[in-house]
Amino acid sequence: MGVTEHISKQFEADLDTTRTRVLQMGGLVEAQILAAIQAFATGDAALVAQVIENDARVNGYEVAIDGACNHIVVKRQPAASDLRLIMAISKIVTDLERIGDEAEKIARMSKRIHEQGAHHAQRFPAIRHAAQIAVKNLRQALDAFARLDAASAAEVLKEDSAIDDEFRSVLRQLITYMMEDPRTISASLDTVWVAKAIERIGDHAKNIAEQVIYIVKGTDVRHTSFADIERELSKE
Amino acid sequence: MTWLAIALAILAAGLAIALYRQRREFGKLKRWVSQPRLTDPPEAEGAWGEVFNLLHRHRRATLRRRRELARLMVRSRRGAQALPYGVAVLDAEYRMDWCNDAAREHLGLDPERDRGQPIVNVVRAPEFVDYLRAGEFAEALRLKSPGSARTLALQIVSFGDEEHILLSQDVTGSERVEAMRRDFVANVSHELRTPLTVLAGFLETIQDLKLDASRVRDYVSLMAPQAARMKRLIDDLLTLSALEHAPAPPDAERVALRPLLERVRAEAEALSAGRHRISLEAAGADDLLGAEGELASAFVNLATNAVRYTPAGGEIRICWRSGTQLADGGAEFSVEDTGIGIDPEHLPRLTERFYRVDRGRSRETGGTGLGLSIVKHALARHQAMLAIESTPGKGSRFIARFPAARLAPARQKVEG
Repeated sequence: MGVTEHISKQFEADLDTTRTRVLQMGGLVEAQILAAIQAFATGDAALVAQVIENDARVNGYEVAIDGACNHIVVKRQPAASDLRLIMAISKIVTDLERIGDEAEKIARMSKRIHEQGAHHAQRFPAIRHAAQIAVKNLRQALDAFARLDAASAAEVLKEDSAIDDEFRSVLRQLITYMMEDPRTISASLDTVWVAKAIERIGDHAKNIAEQVIYIVKGTDVRHTSFADIERELSKE
Repeated sequence: MTWLAIALAILAAGLAIALYRQRREFGKLKRWVSQPRLTDPPEAEGAWGEVFNLLHRHRRATLRRRRELARLMVRSRRGAQALPYGVAVLDAEYRMDWCNDAAREHLGLDPERDRGQPIVNVVRAPEFVDYLRAGEFAEALRLKSPGSARTLALQIVSFGDEEHILLSQDVTGSERVEAMRRDFVANVSHELRTPLTVLAGFLETIQDLKLDASRVRDYVSLMAPQAARMKRLIDDLLTLSALEHAPAPPDAERVALRPLLERVRAEAEALSAGRHRISLEAAGADDLLGAEGELASAFVNLATNAVRYTPAGGEIRICWRSGTQLADGGAEFSVEDTGIGIDPEHLPRLTERFYRVDRGRSRETGGTGLGLSIVKHALARHQAMLAIESTPGKGSRFIARFPAARLAPARQKVEG
């Protein structure tokens, strides 16, 4: 009795540590997006370098957490909700790593845009607005993961369409600029990549929220309409 | 034999009665103790009564202690809740135990659901995680509040058996003040260095080269305006600092308005040197209560600004209305020009020290970058407001609005 209790306690501790590490990776990724967007707005070269350098840390987290997950699966053979948690964690980590890559991409693009003439970037409050929603969604998805709160995770799924709307409005705006002044085409195309990266960050945040619902409810809500998800969540 | 049987029967009966009594008293005890509220002990005789009373006293004391403790806890929680700082109580492993409303607002903590959660699961900023890991809590950590533009100062305070309190404080305001102070010092140095560089350059030339007298005179005449500019800047800085540190302006001292307005017009005309049409209208028979020097420097600054930013041939109207002329019974000093105007985006920052819409232009017209700061300060000290209306390309109107409390009817001039 004493021995199994000890083992299960150790197991609990391992799971908790892994969860905390995932959340810390999330915190780092969040900081990366904010720094990248700041670099986009200001063209600060030091910030660009910092984002690129920190991406190695994000990747390091991914490798370490994946290793920890494998270790737990092999050593403890978790079942039911524990197994769900491990599986979901390993997917969440992949999404976080991709978000890190998108942040790096934004930083690199910002550098190029500002090298072509700094005035262009300031005209896009829509991009910064979309980025704010994306960061907010990511933060809410991670909070939902920390608190295992399926209802809050479901809100993230709903919010994601706001980012898509912003993305389309940025595209329309850019098309107008390019038609008005062909000299802006090159910078505009780079800006499209930034907008696209933000839209992808929103998608990854949505994936994370879906994994949280999977952990809590055990239902796979990927590729499901929001109305169906809400119905699913409301029945206990 | 029979007497033995009778004795035994009596003994048995006595025992049965005693046993029954014991059971009855025990039942009473059980019922009494299991009542949720503390009531008086049931009547009982002999040793039982004593036990009941002892137990009652003990229960009462315990209950009182418990109430006392509960009250103490509620009070200390309320105290922590009312603090203007965010407070989160953490255990030895930095798991959250409790937090107040300010901490919830600053850090996004949830006092119910985050209980027992490692704090880094919710406050995930890498700087904070590093701060906890380093374990050096002598200095506070500056952090952007998640999800808002606020800056927080976070600090860990340890207490008891390796328990911790996380304090958070909103330092957005003080950070802004600090940035303004830094900007100010940098601006002053820059503004003073520019003319000084010119002066030093000429001095070096005069020293090193053998120049004829007329050349030297030329150079000196170029140096003089630079020295004048430095002097103006220092004068303005002194005025500003005097405004900031002087006691509140008297509200009993009467400032005769007519001469003051005439002086404003005269100064504007001196600067304009006939290049503008300058008019003065004054309606209302009130004087202002306040410090004459401060009011004069505010009004003169507004008027000379109008001259500086209006091309030759333009028109400048200095206007005073007071008392019944205005709805609120207050007064209005305004300067209207037909100058270059100001883009709306610059208006909110216009009274900041050294804020310039167009750097080159304002220096070439002799501005120091401090004029409107002085105006704003001087007016604020008289409870007056500065309003600016402007259309780029058409002209601007600067209005100083005084409350009725700052007015006094003008004295009749006594002849002879």
